[in-house]
Amino acid sequence: MDRTTILSELKKVLAPYTEDKEMLNGINENTDLIKDLKINSANLVDIIIDAESQYNIEIDFDAAEKMYNVGNCIDIISEKLNPTV
Amino acid sequence: MKSTGNDIIALNAIDIQRTNTPAFYSKIITAAEQALYREPEVSALPFPVFVWLLWSVKESVYKYLKRADAGLIFPPTKITIQNITAPRKAPVAGLTNSVWESDRIEEDFYAGEVKFNAHLLYFRSKIDAEFIATAVSPVPGFENVYWGVKKIDNPGQENQSRQAREFVLQKLKLFLLTDDLSIDKTPAGCPIVLKGNEQLTIPVSLSHHDHFVAYSFLLAR
Repeated sequence: MDRTTILSELKKVLAPYTEDKEMLNGINENTDLIKDLKINSANLVDIIIDAESQYNIEIDFDAAEKMYNVGNCIDIISEKLNPTV
Repeated sequence: MKSTGNDIIALNAIDIQRTNTPAFYSKIITAAEQALYREPEVSALPFPVFVWLLWSVKESVYKYLKRADAGLIFPPTKITIQNITAPRKAPVAGLTNSVWESDRIEEDFYAGEVKFNAHLLYFRSKIDAEFIATAVSPVPGFENVYWGVKKIDNPGQENQSRQAREFVLQKLKLFLLTDDLSIDKTPAGCPIVLKGNEQLTIPVSLSHHDHFVAYSFLLAR
């Protein structure tokens, strides 16, 4: 799965947690989940659990700590999907 | 370092079923912290409330430390709660006119010590039927730390942010005896207090979750 596809699917994971649908549609790898999408920090673990389910992967807590912006989320999901890359 | 940190959790907005799953809580709390739940005075709390209590402490510590370390990333399992004591007296239930503030009434809290690397901080948490509110302090007596909670009608993100700012400004104006106060944020997202265009050296922390907003600040009087 390439980064563009992961980004596209990540929007579905993030959608329940942000009111700013316009910003969500325009996210890029620099988008910050809390500062830009105004996602409440209390939902960050929900997003990680939803991403695990969406991509059928397991994200350990060391990796989870880095999932504060879209680019890092894609890095971690991509590593888990393609462990030899 | 002169700082402050707080957090608010609206208990009706948490997913109880999900919180009870190891896949969820093991991303927030360590095995040593899970062992704290076996202590009698803590195990009286429902487990999801215990998990979110620890989350609110960790988030408060993160906000406290981020003021001096703008690049800090929230590391929930590396901020570790060392111990927890329950209130000796039953806490005051509910809010008065939708508000609770630490300086209005003497009461006991869930309290303890929390570490991150070389930092040792102290936390106090008020657990109500509807919310968990936490503040942290570098001293166990919480001298000069003010913190408060307000219930709001509209949980929209813009309203939450506006109400949190208005809530803390209302309090600060009482102490500083001026209406010319406003809140801005540093590029890292830490709130700062302005008097006119002048930045005051009063560290402020703001939080919101669903129908609740909360503040903490440090002010020597």
